[in-house]
Parts: sequence; structure tokens; C-alpha cells
Amino acid sequence: MQVRLIKNDFKNNKLVTAAVICFMSVSAALMGLSVMLFGSLLNSIDRLMETAETPDFLQMHSGEIDISALNEFSASYPGVKKMQISTFLNLENGDLSLGEHSLADNTQDNGLCIQSSSFDYLLDLDGNRIRVSQGSVFVPICYRDEYDLKTGDPMRIGTQELTIAGFLRDSQMNSMMASSKRFLVNEQDYVRLKFLGDEEYLIEFKLQEGEDVNAFSTAYGDAGLPGNGPTITYPLIRLMNALSDGMMILVILLVSVVILVISILCIRYILLTSLEKDKREIGMMKAIGISRTDIHSLYFSKFLILSVIGALIGVLCALPVSIPMRRQMCNLYGMPENMGLIFLLSAAGILAVEGLILFSVHRTLKATDKLTAVEALYGIGRFENKKNRYLFIAVITAAVTALILIPQNIASTLASPRFVTYMGIGSSQIRIDIRQTDRIEEITGTILSDIKKDEQTNGAVLMETRSYRVMLEDGSEYSLLIENGDHSQYPVSYSEGSWPEGEDEIALSMLNASELGLGVGDYVTIRMGQNGTDKTVRCRICGIYSDITNGGKTAKARFEDDENSERPMWSVIYVTLKDPNEAASWTERYQDLVKSYDASIRVTDIANYVNAIYGQTITRIQKAAVLTMFSSALVLAVVVLLFIRLTIWQERNDCSLKKALGFISADIRISYLKRSAMYILTGMAAGVFLGLIPGQNLAGMLLGSLGASGFHFIIDPLRTFILVPLLIITVAASAAWISLKEIDRIKAYECCTGRE
Amino acid sequence: MKVLMKVNNLCKNNILKDVSFSVDEGEMIAIMGPSGSGKSTLLYNVSGMDQADSGEVWLGDTEIVQLSEDDKARLRLTGMGFVFQQMNMLSNLNILDNILLPSVHADKSRAFHAKQKEKALQLMEQFGIRYLADRRITEVSGGQLQRACICRSMMLSPRILFADEPTGALNQTASEEVLRAFLRINAAGTTILMVTHDSRVAAKCQRILYILDGEIRGELTLGAYSEAEITNRQQKTADWLKMMGW
Repeated sequence: MQVRLIKNDFKNNKLVTAAVICFMSVSAALMGLSVMLFGSLLNSIDRLMETAETPDFLQMHSGEIDISALNEFSASYPGVKKMQISTFLNLENGDLSLGEHSLADNTQDNGLCIQSSSFDYLLDLDGNRIRVSQGSVFVPICYRDEYDLKTGDPMRIGTQELTIAGFLRDSQMNSMMASSKRFLVNEQDYVRLKFLGDEEYLIEFKLQEGEDVNAFSTAYGDAGLPGNGPTITYPLIRLMNALSDGMMILVILLVSVVILVISILCIRYILLTSLEKDKREIGMMKAIGISRTDIHSLYFSKFLILSVIGALIGVLCALPVSIPMRRQMCNLYGMPENMGLIFLLSAAGILAVEGLILFSVHRTLKATDKLTAVEALYGIGRFENKKNRYLFIAVITAAVTALILIPQNIASTLASPRFVTYMGIGSSQIRIDIRQTDRIEEITGTILSDIKKDEQTNGAVLMETRSYRVMLEDGSEYSLLIENGDHSQYPVSYSEGSWPEGEDEIALSMLNASELGLGVGDYVTIRMGQNGTDKTVRCRICGIYSDITNGGKTAKARFEDDENSERPMWSVIYVTLKDPNEAASWTERYQDLVKSYDASIRVTDIANYVNAIYGQTITRIQKAAVLTMFSSALVLAVVVLLFIRLTIWQERNDCSLKKALGFISADIRISYLKRSAMYILTGMAAGVFLGLIPGQNLAGMLLGSLGASGFHFIIDPLRTFILVPLLIITVAASAAWISLKEIDRIKAYECCTGRE
Repeated sequence: MKVLMKVNNLCKNNILKDVSFSVDEGEMIAIMGPSGSGKSTLLYNVSGMDQADSGEVWLGDTEIVQLSEDDKARLRLTGMGFVFQQMNMLSNLNILDNILLPSVHADKSRAFHAKQKEKALQLMEQFGIRYLADRRITEVSGGQLQRACICRSMMLSPRILFADEPTGALNQTASEEVLRAFLRINAAGTTILMVTHDSRVAAKCQRILYILDGEIRGELTLGAYSEAEITNRQQKTADWLKMMGW
């Protein structure tokens, strides 16, 4: 009988049934998709990093290297399992071409290397260590799609040519967010081509299981070992790998959580409305002695069946959507090891979603306990609060609007050139990086003076980065990379405080501040001069900024010229032009100009730089934003359709009475439209606010994982204030119009007949 | 005759004030009184559908007021039958399934279901609605639906049947059909406690209790019903009601 009862209920309430299935399916599909993508991504990355034996600690270094000191340190530090020194031949991008494509505009540090001897292996697409024959080269997998490459295509380095024998996965530098890319060549070729670039060292350590990498990092720094370059650790590499796709998945996860909440609210509303409609029947069942458990089970089993259908549809939707997304991840990181487990986890995610919805149904059904048989029979008391009915539609509209706006705003923020200021890069148009030269100060000075004489430029500022010893107030000492210069002209975004104004101030990157346990207003003492022996300066921490460059551990200061200080490890010149539209041609001109110097110099148009680093992430987030927009619009349409239909259902008698009194359907429809529109518009305005202010904080938390703190949305006003509200209004109005057609079917005599 | 139900000093929200009476086995009693006098409240409280503030209601050896909600529900399912003014039935079930509803929840075994289905069809036959078994509840008349409700109330052979204005929403013909059904089941031994406004309905009962302002103000014993005495019973009832201030 229960089956018949449920079957008839589905038959008689098709709209409600379809709406419940829709909510359950969308929630299940999004959660299933998020878990599946997260599982695939993390599993693929872990598998790649395990197979490749990624180092736990990596110190990049340019300049001379004391191998015996390194060996001695490695032997004496008990936590070291293996150590190796690899080389990276940094090439000039202007000299490089892949297939028919020049890499002149490429913003990565591209270079050659040979296969490592004992760990940090470069792997082919089947996960095997690559052995390269002479004359061949293996190219990073990320370039395959970017430059439409295939095996057999040529790679040219100046006048030299190699043949692309395949593509490689580099567990360290696979992500576009890693600023270097390694091309694998044969040892003989490496030696032969060495003259084409500048060699950098990768000093790599594998540590014993459970060894604290931060403690090791401190010990390495304290030992005074080569450190002319950024330091990177295993967790940071894993994070970098996970971020570009991870951000998209985080957005989908965020959306799936919000959709789940909306679904729970809507299903609760549907259930309460059904209970209200069935109140007399419930009263009758109670009166004739049917137990509370049996009444619960009548309703609960209906939702249980719907949740099974919802879960199945969710799986059927999640699977095809996940295929192209997983294909991209598999290209970059390889196939995940245990797809079965990932599907199982995804199924568990879907079950959890359905479980939560059913739990909410169970709780809502408790409302039937409170009402006595007599109250239910005679319509005393209500399951649903009539006053909150329209508030509900406002809340859902607000949630849907915010949900559409947040991913859109994240994508527009990431795409904005201003976003780099949250990443530790000054707010200029062009950036010139000068590294790996003994004459760095001389070359930098010449370039800077050329730029200042250039009529196209509007201004330029030089930043020089040196390594300093820093003493904390408790007497402990650390090494710190400090960028020295005028930080006020092209400032980065400070999450707290501001840039250093004088010699007695210093700003720290977020990572440094949290690792050293320092905040604005604290003091550190910097040792100046050669080897940090000449003088000390006590600096107040004046600001904290986020930074993802150079391993994220940097500082900014404005020290006066210090003749005795070591030469800079690298210099950066920030430039702005009088006409911003000339950035591309200016960059090109200077790229040619700096070729005459014997140094690694990179001239970058910052807009291109952003695109190169975040382009992949932005594309992914834009995809997630589109997915969100469609899911949210669908949810809004269903909610409005359902809400108005249920409201008419409950007010059917009133509508009939109005018709009996001479109102025409259009009058009644307009009164409903007016009431709904007021709440939908209010909800939409609240949604825009939520999407901008709390949404910004929420996105800030997500982007905090990228290293961007103190984050503010950089919005696209047309989209935020015109297009998205237009979409909401169109969807809501269409759904309302369809739903209000029900009024035409209400007869004027219905209110006069006792029984429906 | 053996007492089936005994009500002692029942109070509820100032609507019922120290109400006491008893119902014998096989009796058919009408409770009458003006609107707002508390007659329906009395019915709901003695049947355990509502919770009394104080007092006792004994059904055989079971005291109902002190029972938990679940125990009350169990007792209503297995020991009581209900017929209401509004013919409450589940709209998603046909007439036969609605009649079977209490049986399904009383015992979930297949054998019991088969037996009960047989019984349901017999009862429907008895009350002249056998041919309506597969109809939806919106496809039958009020009188037919009320008779279906009586069939439902009799499915588990209750010790007492409570009826709240069972003819209140029906026309003359339908009321008479329903009343005949009540007389038939009472004749078969089922005790009936009925709230009614209709003196002609009350005149067919063995006893009438008159309630006013939550108190039982009078009682009229008419004795066993016979068709031949109907005019006399109706006159007697009317006179008594007039005396009570009706």
C-alpha cells in the first residue's frame, strides 16, 4: 500500500516531485564532481611526486658553489636521506622556439637539464624515467597544448636544433604557477649547448620520513651554505601543483555547499507546504491511531526514493562533466593511481549529500509530532509560517545571486593586471629582472639610466634583493631576502600596515611574518655589510604583504646605500609608460636591447606575466563560473516556479473567491507578480551585496591559499551590476510567468464547494 | 450490563469541568449540547486524541489519560474506531486502500493483509459500497465516503466507536444511510459514543448526555432502539432537550 501511496503521490504532484529530484540531483552532481576532481587531482599529484621522488627541500643557487661544504653538511645532518646537486641551464627565451612558435613572449624561466641521478626524476607520460638519446629533447607537457606540439617537431635554441622525442612531467615545475620549466636533454647535448645559457644549481635534499622540513631549512640557512636564490619545500611544490586546478575545484566545492544549503531549504519548504496541505489527512491518521513512526515513514520513504533517484541522476551528470576536466588534469599530472577509490569517495560524497538532505527531512517531519490529532484535524496551528513564505524566496534569490557573482568576481580579479600587487609584484606595467651576472650593479645602472632617458617612460624604480642576517628580539637569527628600494612608487598590496618609509622600517611577506611569529609594530635587527658584520639596524615592522615570488619568503626595506654590502642576488626594475598601449612594443624593443648584456635579463609586460602565471587558473575558474551560473540559474528557476505554484496551491481558495467576486486571471497574476518581484528584487540586491562584501572575504580565504592576502575584488561593473541582475530577473520572471498560468485553471466556483 | 468506559472528573482548559460518566458495553450514546459547550472536546479527551489536564478515563482496565502518546495511538488503532464530520481520507489512495489503512499499520504480515482485505470487502458489501472499492475519494458522494469511513473504523473490530457529527456534512438521504450503518454495527455489539447536533439522530441512541459549559447537565435514557417507537422517542427527546434549554 505504501508503494501505491507514494506512486500516486508522485503522479499527483509531478512538479513537486520533479523539483525535489532536481534539488537532490544538482546537489549530488556538484558534490560528486568536486570530490571526484579533488580525489583525481591529489591522487595524480601524489603519485607523480612519489614516482618522481620530488625533493623535500630545494635551494636554487646561482654563482659559485662549495660542494664539499654541502657534502659535509649533508653527512652531518641526521635527517638527510639523500642529497644531489642538479644543474639547470637557463636559456634566453628570445633564442628559443618550439615547432614554429617562438618563446620570446614566454614569461617562464626555460632551461635545459639532464636526468637526475638519484631522485627528482623527470618522467614520461607513462610515468617512467626518461632516457634521452643524443639530439633529442623532452618538452614539458604544459607546452604540448599551448604550442600545439607533437613528437618529431623541432626545438631550436639559437642556431642549434633538437628533435622533440616526447613530453615530460616534472613533479616540481609542472604547474604554470612554477616560474621555471625544465627541458630534458642528453648529457652530451647538455655539455655541447652549455655555452648558450647561464647555469644555475638546484641543491636538492630528500629527508628521512617525518623530518621537519622547516627545521632543516633553518639549519641549512644557519650553516651559511649556498643560498643565492629561492628556497622551495615539498609542501610548497605540492601546493603549487594543486593550485591551478585546485582553485577551480574549490570554487565548484563552494558552489556545491551553497547549492546543498539551498536544496535543503527548498526541500524543507516543499515538505512543510505538503504537510500543511495534508494536515487533515495527518490528523486523521493520528486520530485513528497510526503511530508517529508510521506517519514519518510514509513521508520519509517518499523522500528516500527521491534521494536514490537524485543520487543516480547526480552520478550520471557528474561523470560526463568530470571527463574533460579530469582529462586536463591527467595530461598534466598523469592518471590517478586508484580510480576505484576515487569513485568510491565520490559516491560517499553523494551519499553524504543525500544523507544530509534526508536528515533535514527527518527533522522537518518532527513538526508532525508537535501537532495533536485534534489540531491537525481542525486546521489549528501551522507547519509553515505564512509570514516567512516570501522571505524564503528573497533568501534563495540572494544566495543564488551571490553564488553567481563570487566565482565571476574571483575570475575578473585574477584577470586584472592589478591583481599582481596581491602577489608581491609592484603595480607597474613592465618589470625587468636582472640575474646571474658578476656585473649586476653596473648592468642594472646602465639599463636604469637608459630607461630614465627614454621618452616613452613615465617612471622607473630599482629594487635590489640581497640576503641579510636578521636577529629577532629573542636573540635567534635567520637569513632573509630583502628587496631594497623605493616601495612607495609601485607598491604591492599590504594586508596590514604600509611600505617602509625609512631605513628603520621593514615590511615582511605573509609567509615570513607567520613563520617568524612577527606582526606590524614588532622589531627585528638587520645585520648590514659584508657577511653581516659591519653594523646593525633595528627596524620596526611597518607592513605585511602577500608574495608568491621567490618561494614567498621576502621582505621589503629602504636602506640607504651601503657601500660594503654584498652585491645583489638579483635586481628588478619596475617601469611605467606614458602611453600604456605601447607596453608590448616597448617590451619587445628592450628584449632586443638587453640581449647585448652578458646576463640573464628578462623584460616582462606584466599583463602577459599575469596571463602566463594565472592564465590556466583563470580559464579553469571561468569554466567553474559558467558551470555555477547555469546551475544557479536552474536552481532559481525551479525555486521560483515551485514557490509560486505552492503559494497558489495554498491560496487556491482565495484566488477562486476573487474570481467569484469578478477579478480576472490577469489581475490575480499581477498581484502575485508584484509581491514576488518585490522580494526577488530585494533578494537580488542583497545577493549583490553578499557577493561583493562577504563574498570577497570568502574568496579572500580561497585566494589566501594562493598567497594573496588582504584581497579586494576587482570587479567588472557591467557584469556585476547589469548582466548578472538581468539574468536573475529574466530567469525569475520567466519561471514566475510559467508558474502563474496555474491561475487560469482555478475556477470561480471552487470556493463554494466544500470539498476539493 | 458491564461498564466499558468510565470517565472520572475529567478537566481540560476550563472547557471540560469535572466531567464524569460511564458507557456500558454495547451501548450507543449521543452527546448533545450547543456549539462551544465542549462536546467535541469531551470526545477527543476520552478517546486520547487530546491530553486532558486532570481526571481519569478508563477503557476496560486501561487508564488512557496517563498513557504516552504512542501508547494512546496504539490503543486508538486497535481498540477504538473513529468517524468524523469531514470525511477524512488519504487522497492518494483509493477507497479500498483507505479502508485498509489501519490494518496495514496494525499488523504488517501478508496473511493478515489478505484476511483484512476480505473483511474490508465484506464490510463494503454490508454498507452498500462494494462497487466503489477502486474509486478515488473525489469520485464518490459524501454519504458513500462517510460509509467508507465507517468501514475503515470497523476494520480492527474496535471495542468502542467514536463519531463526531458523522451526519453534520450530509444531506437527509445520506444521513439516514449513515445512521442505518451505525445502528447496524451497534446491533452487532459495537459500543458507540457519538457527538451530534441532530435530535433525530440522538433519538435513535439508547442514552443522551446533555453538556453545557463543560459540564454534564442532564441525561436521558431512551432504551434499546426499535423502529416502531421512533415517533415517540423523537418527541421524548425534543421535550427533554427543550427542558434542558436547547
